[in-house]
Amino acid sequence: MAALSEEVLLVVKRVRQRKQDGTLYLMAERIAWGPEGKDRFTVSHLYADIRCQKISPDGKAKIQLQLVLHTGESTNLHFSNESTALKDRDAAKDLLQQLLPKFKKRANKELEEKNRMLQEDPVLFQLYKDLVVCQVISAEEFWANRLSINNVDHSLSNNKQEVGISAAFLADIRPQTDGCNGLRYNLTSDIIESIFRTYPAVKQKYGENVPHNMTEKEFWTRFFQSHYFHRDRINTGLQDIFSECAKQDEKGLKSMVFQGVKNPMVDLLSLEDKSLDEGYGSNSTAPSTSNTNKTVKENSNSAIIKRFNHHSTMVLAAGSGKKADAPNGQACETSSTDGNSRDSDFFQPPIKKVKIQDVIEYEDLHRENGKKTVALNLKKSDRYSHGPVPLLPQQYTTSQDIVNSVNCIKQEIASYKPCLTQVMSSSTASCAIAALSPGGVLMQALAQQAINQMVPNDVQGELKHLYTAAGELLRHFWSCFPVNTLFLEEKLTGHLEDMFQMAYNKFHAWQTRRMMRKT
Amino acid sequence: MKLNIEGLLVYFPYDYIYPEQYSYMLELKRTLDAKGHGVLEMPSGTGKTISLLSLIVAYQREYPLEVTKLIYCSRTVPEIEKVVEELRKLMEFYSKETGEKNNILALALSSRKNLCVHPEVSSLRFGKEVDGKCHSLTASYIRAQRHSNPSLPSCRFYEEFDAMGKQVPLPAGVYNLDDLKEFGRRKGWCPYYLARYSILHANIIVYSYHYLLDPKIADLVSKELSKKSVVVFDEAHNIDNVCIDSMSVNITRRTLDRSQANVETLQNTILKIKETDAAKLKEEYRRLVEGLKEANVARETDIYMSNPVLPDEILQEAVPGSIRTAEHFVGFMKRFLEYLKARLRIHHVVQESAPQFLKDIFEKVCIDRKPLRFCAERLRSLLRTLEIADIADFSAITLISNFATLVSTYSKGFTIIIEPFEDRTPTIANPVLHFSCMDPSIAIKPVFERFQSVIITSGTLSPLDIYPRILDFRPVTVASFTMTLARTCLCPLVVGRGNDQVAMTSKFETREDFAVIRNYGNLLLEMSAIVPDGIVAFFTSYTYMENIVASWYEQGILENVQRNKLIFIETPDAAETSMALEKYQEACENGRGAILLSVARGKVSEGIDFVHHFGRAVIMFGVPYVYTQSRILKARLEYLRDQFQIRENDFLTFDAMRHAAQCVGRAIRGKTDYGLMIFADKRYARADKRGKLPRWIQEHLTDGSLNLTIDETVQLSKHFLRQMAQPFRQEDQLGLSLLTLEQLQSEDMLQKIAQIAHQA
Repeated sequence: MAALSEEVLLVVKRVRQRKQDGTLYLMAERIAWGPEGKDRFTVSHLYADIRCQKISPDGKAKIQLQLVLHTGESTNLHFSNESTALKDRDAAKDLLQQLLPKFKKRANKELEEKNRMLQEDPVLFQLYKDLVVCQVISAEEFWANRLSINNVDHSLSNNKQEVGISAAFLADIRPQTDGCNGLRYNLTSDIIESIFRTYPAVKQKYGENVPHNMTEKEFWTRFFQSHYFHRDRINTGLQDIFSECAKQDEKGLKSMVFQGVKNPMVDLLSLEDKSLDEGYGSNSTAPSTSNTNKTVKENSNSAIIKRFNHHSTMVLAAGSGKKADAPNGQACETSSTDGNSRDSDFFQPPIKKVKIQDVIEYEDLHRENGKKTVALNLKKSDRYSHGPVPLLPQQYTTSQDIVNSVNCIKQEIASYKPCLTQVMSSSTASCAIAALSPGGVLMQALAQQAINQMVPNDVQGELKHLYTAAGELLRHFWSCFPVNTLFLEEKLTGHLEDMFQMAYNKFHAWQTRRMMRKT
Repeated sequence: MKLNIEGLLVYFPYDYIYPEQYSYMLELKRTLDAKGHGVLEMPSGTGKTISLLSLIVAYQREYPLEVTKLIYCSRTVPEIEKVVEELRKLMEFYSKETGEKNNILALALSSRKNLCVHPEVSSLRFGKEVDGKCHSLTASYIRAQRHSNPSLPSCRFYEEFDAMGKQVPLPAGVYNLDDLKEFGRRKGWCPYYLARYSILHANIIVYSYHYLLDPKIADLVSKELSKKSVVVFDEAHNIDNVCIDSMSVNITRRTLDRSQANVETLQNTILKIKETDAAKLKEEYRRLVEGLKEANVARETDIYMSNPVLPDEILQEAVPGSIRTAEHFVGFMKRFLEYLKARLRIHHVVQESAPQFLKDIFEKVCIDRKPLRFCAERLRSLLRTLEIADIADFSAITLISNFATLVSTYSKGFTIIIEPFEDRTPTIANPVLHFSCMDPSIAIKPVFERFQSVIITSGTLSPLDIYPRILDFRPVTVASFTMTLARTCLCPLVVGRGNDQVAMTSKFETREDFAVIRNYGNLLLEMSAIVPDGIVAFFTSYTYMENIVASWYEQGILENVQRNKLIFIETPDAAETSMALEKYQEACENGRGAILLSVARGKVSEGIDFVHHFGRAVIMFGVPYVYTQSRILKARLEYLRDQFQIRENDFLTFDAMRHAAQCVGRAIRGKTDYGLMIFADKRYARADKRGKLPRWIQEHLTDGSLNLTIDETVQLSKHFLRQMAQPFRQEDQLGLSLLTLEQLQSEDMLQKIAQIAHQA
């Protein structure tokens, strides 16, 4: 069963599954287990099918690894080699840890996407049935066009929605005492990811130092010891690698502050119109900002406040999809325009105007003026007002003709002078009126059934399907032009023609079937 | 719609009207009819501004000779711009309804920083720099010098305006700050000077308090405004503090050092001028002998508003001989400076009255009262004569001269306190001389005397009777309006206890108590879990907030709060806070939700609104009493007791409650808005505190919502929020809190409206 080309990454012997001894194989694309002495696998899971792995706690006697599948099933593997069980398990775990995320991302993403599209769009689904299921065109060809279109307009919004960061991710690493004067921090890959996204400076440090200067563990240990993590501690020794991070943060914060705010309604700096001159006022004994007469405690307090603001800002930035270190980059960008920012307030008034308008508006004092509707934009109003009219063997009048003749009649009526000498007899007149009334001889055309009432619904539906299928084929056809690759040429000369033939046949079959049924 | 307010046709630019707006206009109309002053309290978010504008504009059109001008004073730049935009809306409505073009000129005026279009000057960051730079380009003698030396820099906008701008008045219309700038750019005129010039003939001016209340600025800008104006002070709940601030002076050692340097520069300049251009000094001397006649004549003919710094008496006299020549004056100032320096060399706190100070100065250095009174005027004249380019450099000596004039002019209403060090740091010598005004009526008196109607209005003016007392005027109308509500969209709750029954209070004795801090933290935590979007929390002071935040951090409360919402915290730095605010709004906007920790009496509590989802709950931690140990405050309280018979405690509570009301009122900005108001201190439950809250909050504070525990609060809040989250349509309001014209005219509605205004 094992394909020859499959690369085996890890082999672990003496692994029990369902009380049977056996061997565990980790291959490039799947994990498999076979019982001792047999050369086939009784358990085989593609990595893509595995949702996660779980391991038994350290202290437990049985050393196990559990694989949980997307379907909800799970497989328990018990490592039973006494001396090396733990090592074996960890080796398997580590390898899986590396492999699983890769597959997770790729896993069925395309298929899911296709499935989703088909489910969301009934027309597409029908088209798929008509073309692919009936083998007019191949599935690949069908999707080749679709997905690319789709990717373009979804890539921005729908591709993968970024998951925001919990503001309390640092709280989740609450230290636990391990009983003997030590602290244990639990770090998961999610938390590490959060830390990196929120604090790009830490990520940078990590890149610089791990693994050349220290191990990963050491890095995080230092991180938790640093004042950087403990927001109430103020700068300590210089050897702390994170003191630089703090400085960088401070710089980032400063540059953000310097940029100022876009919303003029919250800009406290420009709130006051005319501040009192220095020396005037009753409470100008504002706390002097110099740090000299501040106690250490006060300093640490204000550090906490600053860092909370910074933390929230960064979390927000990381969540809103912007690059977390954007403020730094932006700072340079905008500061260059900042020099003549007064000139740039040509841009400012609109925002300001809108904001002010927002604020002064009392929506409930206004009369509601109906629901907002989208205006119907007709390219050919003729077709809209008439609909498909059954072709009659008479002259076709355009709406322009009708309008003209109506105008003519209007004019004639306006200038109508009764000629009392030449009136009809009353019986003829009533006859004419009857003929002109709805249901009369002359008004028959109006009473005629519209075509959509004449044709039964199922026929309409089928016709529609055929029509869209043909349209899709045409789309394929036209998309081949200009023919600039060999592939396109082949497609055009080769099977497209067949396809058309096939579609035509299909239509023909339908037609004859209809005719048969009718007669 | 068109309204009939007791016979006056008022155009109101909306299809519907709130009942209280109608009632407000009625009271306002009566005030204008009586040509008196008024105190009107109406909750924010009920369209106070548009009611004011609609009525006064209508009044102005109907009786153009009775009311020639509306002077609308607001507090912040965004407020000013908002008012002008509302006015624009009204004017558009007018021209739509009447079909004729408006001939009303309305404009906003702000400092140079907000109006300058000069590319170099306007790029400066701080208002003071802009003023100084502008002055150095446009001062009259600099321009005179330019005649002889054309290479000197100039401001082409000012030159252009000076040459052309005054011939044709600004065309009628509504000009916001940006419109003025745009107009200025187009014409090549300086918008600032254009605006300052145009306010003389504008029908409506919108600017900030300082232009009327700060004598230094009012003297420059507003003194020629017509007597037949209606003055409106919006958001006036803090007006007494603005008055006091504008008249108070603080002198530190640094001020004295800088004044010393100023005096030396003056001396050198005088010497130089004496050699080159002695005639100039003589000319000045002659002018001083003739006295301040011009100013006196102007004031008597009622063109100028009086300046409280420059009292009437001194206008009738000439500058006394002892300081008439420039050298004598400089010598005089030197002596005065030396005296002040000596006074600052103390080791214990000194408090004395102005007469005591004058007596002392006479005994020690033989400085008389009379020359002191002329100090400010004399210095201004000297600076003008010496052609000093950068006035900003001389701010220190100007301050000292203003102090000299004030201290010798007012024997009452001021106190002098000299403190050798700050209370918190008794080891560091940092002597300060506070010359502090205790009587807000001094600064505002000229306004009440000059203008025929002054309206003081705000969302929180309770208790109403206190303002006329402390500002010393007799209003013809005093009224408080409630908010008619179709649904109770505000929910004030007083939380007095934690779940452990420990009382929650920011009382000084217990505020550091561990249990109190923990309970406050639990309250915030619980609320963060149930309130959607934004929560704003206010603390009584910045240091208190710092301490609490630190201990919350230690106890891990903040981390748990972070699980629910992001946390942003106000800092003393305005720029940092602005950024935090913006991020806070962003977080509310994108659905994450956030908490803003802020400080009562801070900038956020005074100037930022938290509409709709930006503030679904406000938590007021503690009662925001002012720092009572301050000597200045003590002196003021004493003064209030002696002069106005206001008891210390009454005033302190009044002050605390108006700030608390301001804070919690930030969340409700309209009838479609809703929010919780949580007063986290058991003292709010007491009648003396509760009774001082504005009526529109008090109404909804039932006995059942007093002294709750945290759990009870959570239950009530959940219920309230769930109810409020139901869709709320216009039809629900119509007929109750929102009226059509027909509904307004019905008999029983008019009766109901009459009850809205609550006469104090």
